[in-house]
Amino acid sequence: MSGVTRSRIDAWFNDNDWQVFDYQSDAWEAFGQGQSGLIHSPTGSGKTLAAWLGPLQHISTSARGLRVLWITPLRALANDTHENLQAAVTALGSDWRVGIRTGDTSSSEKARQRRTPPQALITTPESLSVLLSYADADNWFGSLDAVVVDEWHELLGSKRGVQLELCLARLRALRSDVVTWGLSATLANLEEAMTVLCGETHRASLIAGASPKQIDIASVLPESLERFPQAGPLGLALVEPVVEQIHNAVSTLVFTNTRSQAESWFDALLRARPDWLGRIALHHGSIDRKIRQTIEQGLRDGALLAVICTSSLDLGVDFAPVDQVLQIGSPKGVARLMQRAGRSGHQPGAVSTVQCVPTHALELVEIVAAREAWHAGRIEPRVPLTRSLDVLVQHLVTRALGGGFESDGMLAEVRTTHAFSALSDTAWQWCLDFITRGGQALAGYPQFNRVSVVDGLYRMTDQRLSRQHRMSIGTIASDTAMRVKWISGGSLGTIEESFVSRLDKGDRFLFAGRLVELVQIRDMTAYVRKSKRVSKTVPRWQGGRMPLSTALADSMLAVLSAYADKSLDAPELEVVRSLLDHQIAVSRLPAPGRLLVERCQSREGHSLFLFPFAGRLVHEGMATLLAMRISREQPITFTLSANDYGIELLSADALDCDTATLRTWLSVERLVDDMYSAVNLGETAKRQFRDIARIAGLVFSGYPGSGKSTRQIQASSGLIFDVLMRYDEDNLLLDQSRREVLDAQLEVTRMRAALVRLQDCEVDIVDTQRLSPFAFPLWAERLQSQIMSSETWKARVQRMADQLNRRTRKKQQRAGRS
Amino acid sequence: MSAVAQIDCMGESLLLLAERAVYWPARNTLLIADWHLGKADVFGRHGIAIPDGDVAFDLSRLTAMIAEHDVQRVVVLGDLMHAPPSPADRWPLALSQWLQAHHQLQLLIVAGNHDRVQATDLPQGLGDRLTWHASSLDEGPFRLDHEPNDVPGCYVLAGHIHPTYWLRAGADRIRAPAFWFRDGHAVLPAFGTFTGGYNIKPSNGERVWVTGADAVIEVT
Repeated sequence: MSGVTRSRIDAWFNDNDWQVFDYQSDAWEAFGQGQSGLIHSPTGSGKTLAAWLGPLQHISTSARGLRVLWITPLRALANDTHENLQAAVTALGSDWRVGIRTGDTSSSEKARQRRTPPQALITTPESLSVLLSYADADNWFGSLDAVVVDEWHELLGSKRGVQLELCLARLRALRSDVVTWGLSATLANLEEAMTVLCGETHRASLIAGASPKQIDIASVLPESLERFPQAGPLGLALVEPVVEQIHNAVSTLVFTNTRSQAESWFDALLRARPDWLGRIALHHGSIDRKIRQTIEQGLRDGALLAVICTSSLDLGVDFAPVDQVLQIGSPKGVARLMQRAGRSGHQPGAVSTVQCVPTHALELVEIVAAREAWHAGRIEPRVPLTRSLDVLVQHLVTRALGGGFESDGMLAEVRTTHAFSALSDTAWQWCLDFITRGGQALAGYPQFNRVSVVDGLYRMTDQRLSRQHRMSIGTIASDTAMRVKWISGGSLGTIEESFVSRLDKGDRFLFAGRLVELVQIRDMTAYVRKSKRVSKTVPRWQGGRMPLSTALADSMLAVLSAYADKSLDAPELEVVRSLLDHQIAVSRLPAPGRLLVERCQSREGHSLFLFPFAGRLVHEGMATLLAMRISREQPITFTLSANDYGIELLSADALDCDTATLRTWLSVERLVDDMYSAVNLGETAKRQFRDIARIAGLVFSGYPGSGKSTRQIQASSGLIFDVLMRYDEDNLLLDQSRREVLDAQLEVTRMRAALVRLQDCEVDIVDTQRLSPFAFPLWAERLQSQIMSSETWKARVQRMADQLNRRTRKKQQRAGRS
Repeated sequence: MSAVAQIDCMGESLLLLAERAVYWPARNTLLIADWHLGKADVFGRHGIAIPDGDVAFDLSRLTAMIAEHDVQRVVVLGDLMHAPPSPADRWPLALSQWLQAHHQLQLLIVAGNHDRVQATDLPQGLGDRLTWHASSLDEGPFRLDHEPNDVPGCYVLAGHIHPTYWLRAGADRIRAPAFWFRDGHAVLPAFGTFTGGYNIKPSNGERVWVTGADAVIEVT
């Protein structure tokens, strides 16, 4: 028996007044020819059906066994996806069943799936990995024909993407003719995105969906700069006009860049309009799933006036009533802004407008830059990760659980992935040593026991360790989550353990739109009560610090330059005019072909500012490099700050610097060697190790209900980093953290390009009396700084202690006088 | 010579040592707290790879302090070990051998919450060398205890909380293990190298010394 006929599909489309797009039938045909592929198009243009109706047409409607695996990046999307896939199945009269398997699936449902597998299964990369950890994994996938990866752009470039690559390699090893289809938003590197997903050897085609819809980028403008902040992430100065905008639309999505920003804005909007209680809602990844689902339903029904959200609503099915999108704070990247803009005005041919709300003055320039870059068609790529050994060792343990593996076959399978195609034999051997012995033979790892080798088969048999491993498979996605509950009962959501661990009892924070007070922490749960006292402080928490993309940074420099020679008009530039002119008066405007350097003395010491406009990641690397090169010549301690515009080096003593010394500090020579030393000296590698240790299973923080039994195996990743540095310096996970800092974080290639560019720049060194408008945001964001020191511990601590003593004495003298 | 800070406490002279220990010259006594021996073994048994090495390193630090000061006994203020040793743990042998090399030395343990073990559970030869005190130990003006609970009439020297301190001055900041001297008690930093720390927030009038490889520096 065959699949659903094309005429039946056409009839169904007709009944609904839809029309089959060419790209949809192209995709169906390619599927019929046994091809893989990547379908890219803006949201809301029928991508799901383009991928789903291929399998439905070309695989028998009465097929048995699991035929199609549908991967979704967020388990929150699973239900909506299920509804869509099932609706097509029902309407087209197929006998298929569509199942869901995520962390939320009940064990009875899982047992049912095991007895009679559904023909299609919706799951996440993590849950797929867990499936592969069971000994009967082979049975599950024995009849698989196709894998569809939804929102592939969201996974590509992340470690979850690497995890999925490894799982796909396994599936292809089990079923050599399985095809892979991806769905993606528009990216600069679509060809690469497709190869990474579909594999090098498979025949695959890139299918372009409906043409990009028309998008307008506008701004909510402050009336003047007088009371508008020059820095800072919240930007609550524009609450009033935002209230106005929300009031005038049917339904608004208000996107923010961080969860704390979302909490603050929700709080501020309710203060401005108490009558909106219940009509506006807050949505972010930490909020309880049930509450989030209620909110999403409210959006669908048009019952909500506005939802303040983070990237938690970037993806997924559309909310038809939404007719306005606001973006609070810098868009950070063109592709991201477009994705968000696309969530409104979904009628074909309609123009989508995104209103940007700047949080500080210079973001007005960023908005203009985003608009210019969009018009010029400059969109960012998503660069896939390679050699993520933490993910690989996690996968190897998973496979050791799921029936075990042999070294040679496994290595061959792993090397079919893009991430590990260049994996060396040495690195492979190290990974095997790591899971069996804990590390290289020379370093002693007492009592280590995880995976054992019997007759050449790597297996994990210990029940307790197996359970522990399955619990930790989901940790690639996020920091360990702790539940947040009312002390009186009822769940509020989850929050990063690293955030809660910084709080004391009685500390207040905004969570899920309420001001709460921490009562106690027990069994991986933070118990809170409503706080009676009023406080506006919102503690910052992990995540969400997106860097400005290169495309946007370049565009910003061009905009500044166009402002200087009066060749560009934009309403945003009119508003920010006084600030830019002030910058010109006290210093200069950054411009292409020039490097602006400012020196300024303050109570805290001597600051050296550089404005290369190469994006925060490159700047972090550059700051570390400069600090390392200077501190090699003299004992000195630097506080380093970086943002998207430039860097600050702050030290107790002034630096001698002229154009010639600056050029040696910024030299491209010995760049990689110097960066390695810099990363070792600084704190970034240790910070990067946090994630790596968690994914590789070196940090186990327990899970809800695990109670005391796991408390004695808890150690911070910093402590483990130190102990590895002392006794097993060649541990490849340490090397990985340095490499991640260099490649992924500091982007050595981009930095080299930036340094080469700076060598040819004219250097302008300006001494300023006070912080210039461009220097000010760096000063204000110094919380995020890192320290690099070549002073001895003793000299440095003594200096700090003396400094504190002087301050105390001064205070006492002042108190004595009054 | 290693770095020390000499202080006067309840009329007694105490030396705070950079190796995260207190030397009490009048009693020829070295005080350490929270060694957590065998922590790497516990991790290993749970499938978490932590290299072995800190036991030897910590013993060498003890040796250095004994060579420097006239130490006749060492008092551990609780949490000598991280968990009861399994037969395969290597640290009991290392400690026994070290004690053989220092056969004059007395080793007293004030039992901490991690020391859920009877002397008889320890390998022979080691158990005999340790003097266990199930609860606190009163010595001169001091009560030596694991948990820092105030007791009227004496000054408590204790461990348990692994104090660390964030020193901030200007734009610079550094975190270090700390000695924390409060009204009724003082808390020693954890002696064990593979131990975490708890950031303290001293009140006015309390004194804090931070320790690094080559110095002990008062910061309050």
